[in-house]
Amino acid sequence: MKRRQLLHTATAGSAAMFLPAVIAKAGEGFEGILDSNVSLFRWPFRRLPLDETSLLVEKLRSLHVTTAWAGSFECCFHRDLGEANARLHRECDTYPELIPVGTVDPSRRGWERDFDACVSGLQMPGLRLFPNLHQYSLDHPAVKRLFLRAAESGTFLQVVVTLEDSRTQPEQIAAPDADLRKLPDLMRAVPDVRIQLLNLRPGVSQLAALKDLPGLFFDTARADSVDGVASLLAGTSPERVVYGSHSPFLIPEAALIRVHESNLGFDTLRSVLRENSERMNP
Amino acid sequence: MQLSDISYGLPGREQMKRYRIWDSYFTPSHGHPGKDGVSALLADMDRAKRSALDLGQFEKCCFFPHVGIGTTSDSGLERLLREKPELVLKPFDHWPGRMLGMIQLNANDKTASLEALNRWLRDGPMQGVYFPGGGPGALCCTHRNFLPLVERVVELGGVIMQHTWFVTGGKPKPGMSTPSELVELAQKFPDYPFVCAHAGGEWERGIRAVADHPNIFIETSGFDATAGFIEMAVRELGAARIIFGSHLPSRSLGTELSKVTAADITEEEKFEILGANFRKLLGEIEE
Repeated sequence: MKRRQLLHTATAGSAAMFLPAVIAKAGEGFEGILDSNVSLFRWPFRRLPLDETSLLVEKLRSLHVTTAWAGSFECCFHRDLGEANARLHRECDTYPELIPVGTVDPSRRGWERDFDACVSGLQMPGLRLFPNLHQYSLDHPAVKRLFLRAAESGTFLQVVVTLEDSRTQPEQIAAPDADLRKLPDLMRAVPDVRIQLLNLRPGVSQLAALKDLPGLFFDTARADSVDGVASLLAGTSPERVVYGSHSPFLIPEAALIRVHESNLGFDTLRSVLRENSERMNP
Repeated sequence: MQLSDISYGLPGREQMKRYRIWDSYFTPSHGHPGKDGVSALLADMDRAKRSALDLGQFEKCCFFPHVGIGTTSDSGLERLLREKPELVLKPFDHWPGRMLGMIQLNANDKTASLEALNRWLRDGPMQGVYFPGGGPGALCCTHRNFLPLVERVVELGGVIMQHTWFVTGGKPKPGMSTPSELVELAQKFPDYPFVCAHAGGEWERGIRAVADHPNIFIETSGFDATAGFIEMAVRELGAARIIFGSHLPSRSLGTELSKVTAADITEEEKFEILGANFRKLLGEIEE
């Protein structure tokens, strides 16, 4: 290999890998990718290369992400959720791409106030839940009340199944994935609620139990294997898989290449990269 | 914007070729090649084709064949592979000129493993060995059974790939090995290279465990694309001790390739990690 040649041509070569012929017919306008799963601020256990919002946004722009639903690591680890949600809102206000998605913890007294502050006060379209790290189960009585409130107000909910593979979690926050077994009954009891599962590593049996819930959406962040996204689509619904990267904890390119790798048809690709998120948040 | 304007964060085709990717950890049907000894394995290779060959432009893919020495729990398969060793070679015919092989050893059965080393490594075409972390062939690499096997591999000049994980909460299975345990083994052969597969999974601990042992390389696959991995590995070990693996098709090109191509390191370092370092371990001479 001519290393000088490699170095000389690297910049041009890495510029873009354009889509294959299957979507060459893509002639109509596209608003850009919507990433439903990014987080701002610091991960407590290591510095992430893109944990400065400006760097993360620069990376998202380079990948043609024009909208990102942004949660906050602070909302997971801080006790003062009111301030963490407000700070998330202020940070997103600086970047037109970022739509803040605050957090409530229904196991804590006063969660209704956090809900109203985010939804009515700060006009957030959705809220994120961390059952495994906030240590409550989905059969906690307040969860159903939260689902009802979300359905009534047209707010989508993102249930973070985990932030990290349980095998590699820091011991201080080691927790199994959120237990989703109660979710079908809960969603049937609140049929208008829209829920997205984030960071699920989908298994066949788990998908079988979840696939028939029309208000349930999935993200692509950990749908691994060469046909992981295609399998997720086949195992659920072409209308309920939404692009999500779990950046900056995971490398932003990982989920995007994986979608490309799944060799989806033009219409499905459009749906996953943008349109399904608009179905979830009309 | 049109959808066809979208790039996917993947380097262009020509750039991928210039990287000269040699995948050290290709895992089609890793646990069982199929009842007939090969069909599931070939089908899984085809499943990975678009990622490995069409998008990744991989020059070489190294897989880990079972050779009938008890690395699966299927006694019928084990017997079949002993009786028809030509089945083990089918993947080489399936992708001519592209496959490399390192046989799975069973450290629980020293005799069979030593015979397999003669049959497959001394006489070819395999180029190394893989010590698994699961299944009936798994044994912690600090066990005394490893010494005669490693001594023989060293005599034959093969690559040694050891599956490793640091699992939060402790080992789920006693046959698994950690990077720290690989250090114990590798210290007995300080002039011979060992590959720490998956960098221990929990790579911050894995990298630190092997950092002071220059004969240990890390392999990059098998865990989520957690940001910062390659940057830390290059900083602590140097790019020369890092070897790309894809774990295709059970993992994705997105997860595994982006760890390297999207890392904040130089293009020269990417070139080393994606193929040059593995070629050196295999004794290939760079142009």
